[in-house]
Amino acid sequence: MEDDWKPLLASERTGEAYTDRGVMDSLDPKSKRPFHVEPRNIVEDDVPERVSAEASVMSSRVHYYSRLTGSSDRLLVPPDHVIPAPEEIYVYSPLGTAFKVQGGEGSVKNPSIVTIFAIWNTMMGTAILSMPWSIKQAGFTLGIIILISMGLLTLYCCYRVLKSPKSIQYTDTSDWEFPDVCKYYFGTFGQWSSLLFSMVSLIGAMVVYWVLMSNFLFNTGKFIYNYAHNVSMSDSEYGTNGTERVICPFPNENPGSNCSLRMFYLSDNGTGTALFDHWWSKTNTVPFYLIILLLPLLNFRSASFFARFTFLGTISVVYLIFLVTLKAFRLGFHLEFHWFDSTKFFVPEFRLLFPQLTGVLTLAFFIHNCIITLMKSNKHQQNNVRDLSIAYLLVGLTYLYVGVLIFGSFPSPPLSKDCIEPNFLDNFPSSDVLVFVARAFLLFQMTTVYPLLGYLVRVQMMGQIFGKHYPGFFHVFTLNVFIVAAGVLMAKFYPNIGSIIRYSGALCGLALVFVFPSVIHMISLRRLGELRWPSALFHSFLILLGVANLLGQFFM
Amino acid sequence: MSSTAMKKKVLLMGKSGSGKTSMRSIIFANYIARDTRRLGATIDVEHSHVRFLGNLVLNLWDCGGQDTFMENYFTSQRDNIFRNVEVLIYVFDVESRELDKDMHYYQSCLEAILQNSPDAKVFCLVHKMDLVQEDQRDVIFKERGEDLKRLSRPLSCVCFRTSIWDETLYKAWSSIVYQLIPNVQQLESNLRNFAQIIEADEVLLFERATFLVISHYQCREQRDAHRFEKISNIIKQFKLSCSKLAASFQSMEVRNSNFAAFIDVFTSNTYVMVIMSDPSIPSAATLINIRNARKHFEKLERVDGPKHSLHMRMH
Repeated sequence: MEDDWKPLLASERTGEAYTDRGVMDSLDPKSKRPFHVEPRNIVEDDVPERVSAEASVMSSRVHYYSRLTGSSDRLLVPPDHVIPAPEEIYVYSPLGTAFKVQGGEGSVKNPSIVTIFAIWNTMMGTAILSMPWSIKQAGFTLGIIILISMGLLTLYCCYRVLKSPKSIQYTDTSDWEFPDVCKYYFGTFGQWSSLLFSMVSLIGAMVVYWVLMSNFLFNTGKFIYNYAHNVSMSDSEYGTNGTERVICPFPNENPGSNCSLRMFYLSDNGTGTALFDHWWSKTNTVPFYLIILLLPLLNFRSASFFARFTFLGTISVVYLIFLVTLKAFRLGFHLEFHWFDSTKFFVPEFRLLFPQLTGVLTLAFFIHNCIITLMKSNKHQQNNVRDLSIAYLLVGLTYLYVGVLIFGSFPSPPLSKDCIEPNFLDNFPSSDVLVFVARAFLLFQMTTVYPLLGYLVRVQMMGQIFGKHYPGFFHVFTLNVFIVAAGVLMAKFYPNIGSIIRYSGALCGLALVFVFPSVIHMISLRRLGELRWPSALFHSFLILLGVANLLGQFFM
Repeated sequence: MSSTAMKKKVLLMGKSGSGKTSMRSIIFANYIARDTRRLGATIDVEHSHVRFLGNLVLNLWDCGGQDTFMENYFTSQRDNIFRNVEVLIYVFDVESRELDKDMHYYQSCLEAILQNSPDAKVFCLVHKMDLVQEDQRDVIFKERGEDLKRLSRPLSCVCFRTSIWDETLYKAWSSIVYQLIPNVQQLESNLRNFAQIIEADEVLLFERATFLVISHYQCREQRDAHRFEKISNIIKQFKLSCSKLAASFQSMEVRNSNFAAFIDVFTSNTYVMVIMSDPSIPSAATLINIRNARKHFEKLERVDGPKHSLHMRMH
């Protein structure tokens, strides 16, 4: 202890004596302390910040830990959740400047309004065309009540889906989707059943698209033919007279009949266009012509080209809203309230056919298989529930608006409300210009969405069965042939999109909307020991509703 | 006391994979060579020949290996392992799916402690807390802590939550060391006097082997709350570099126009770091002060020597 000690670190500059004065400027003012960058040297657009204390000490730790293991050893490498967010990471250049790291593609954060719009855009589907018909099937008042209730119900179930990954402890669920959650809780059964039901909704949508596209193509072709040949069609179809013509394509239907199966037939109009009608028929030929257009598009390897056209969907919905408003304005309202009995022109306000509406609405409000992914890019995650509710509100209002306006303005004294078609555009003659524009536009839009849906089906099915998204041309082609065949058969024999929507909606809604979210919530509560009987009762009731919804489609 | 007195042990125990080797490596600046990172359970006790707080030797054990060989060895060597234990540090992996099994092994360790070294101090570390979501950490730790306290009766255990990726590991081990130093309050008041006499901005007392801060005095608020851990990391890195040259670290002086910092050996178990913000005071003056204080603090440590279980040896 008495020894003179020598400093372990000799002075760096040879010949320089160790002075006692202590005012030694051994550090060059320009050389920086480790891990310190002057604010003026940080190159970025925003106001530069100093390094935060947490980042500073984390850097110290990482430096130290890296000395404790070999360079290839991954034992003490910081895991992802510990590394600061990209906004806090600076890249140093040896000259003393530092650049901020641009966020990776996974960290795109959208403001609430963009998220709400994305949800609205994704949810808006072909069900909008069936809204008036479904409200008619349930009765006007009951229809409105059911629309609001189903909206709230599906919103609650969607909220459950959104919250389901959060209750999983000890696992990083940041890139999980709902099928992954199902797999966690139910094992392989959960994975396959959620895939299966998701497929039901997708393939159901594709079949509806085929039917609608045949319809629109047929009407567009007819309009062009009639315009080119100056043929007037006004006498051949049963409908109103006057400038705003509304037609009833199947006036032989008994009002109040429970039968929703419709048979298509060729109408003989006797105007000499028999040859054209023979080769251009809504059910017999046009669905097959579509194959030539769409089957090649389905076989594209990547769907990113088609993803650019999603804005068309928004424009078409906006145009439909405009069209509906215009028609309602010109036709005026024709509403009479008969509560339980049906009359010649009106339907009862409360009808037993209401399950058809619930089935359609299940698909109309369906977004449960991708809500987690959509919400991930929301900038303020704490507002997720609020934004979801606003999106559902807007979707519900849109559907309500279209349904109520068309139903209300349907000219009932000459026509019966029962005439409202599952695709309300069918109630307008093919000579109507505005509706022609709507049809042509929707046709174009659906042509761009159809390959996207096919791509989603392919990715999920091929990914699960073969492990790869594109196992081979033959596999993909076979799948596409099956999907197209389903569409063509439906278009030929059963082109009632209302029925297709309600069956597929009730079926996939059973699993993905009602059963899985409720069961998962109850299981997670039970694991925490917090399951109370009112909650268990309520969620079991939801499951029963889902089952009843499905059964109702078959019996009503 | 003869110099061959039985060495007291610090047992670092826990299930295989709970993070003990990493923890030991980080705290003691032990290089983890590839081959010592085994995939199976620790069969042999891992001695680290580090003087930790005087005469303590760190032993690392895996508890509850799947191997029946491991289990038998454990039971037959039990008394040997648990004799002369000064401190038991038990590490729990917060992510563990087999909580009951963990508690069972913990309890059997406690039984062995009660039989062989009933005066041992018990510390429980709930480790890998960074894997738990931030809003759940307090709740989970509180729950575990209460369970452990209940299970540990009649022994009393102190629980900490730790993670190698934040300051909790360093703070937990600092607290452990703090509780193991005898007459630590007296040490602290003397440190305060010392600091005021030599007009230092801050004086830190580090444990010698691990550079964990035992005690510190500061005369005004400092900006960086993490400075203790950072200094510890820097010095340990420097020690690692020194050991590569077969040199050992003894002291350091860092000086610029704003401050002067001195790190030097203090007592047989501690290092001191003195920070002076008045650069006009010559180094030699501070060094003389430190040297004189050294004698005083050594006397302090030796005073209660035979009565306490921590034996300090004079050079």
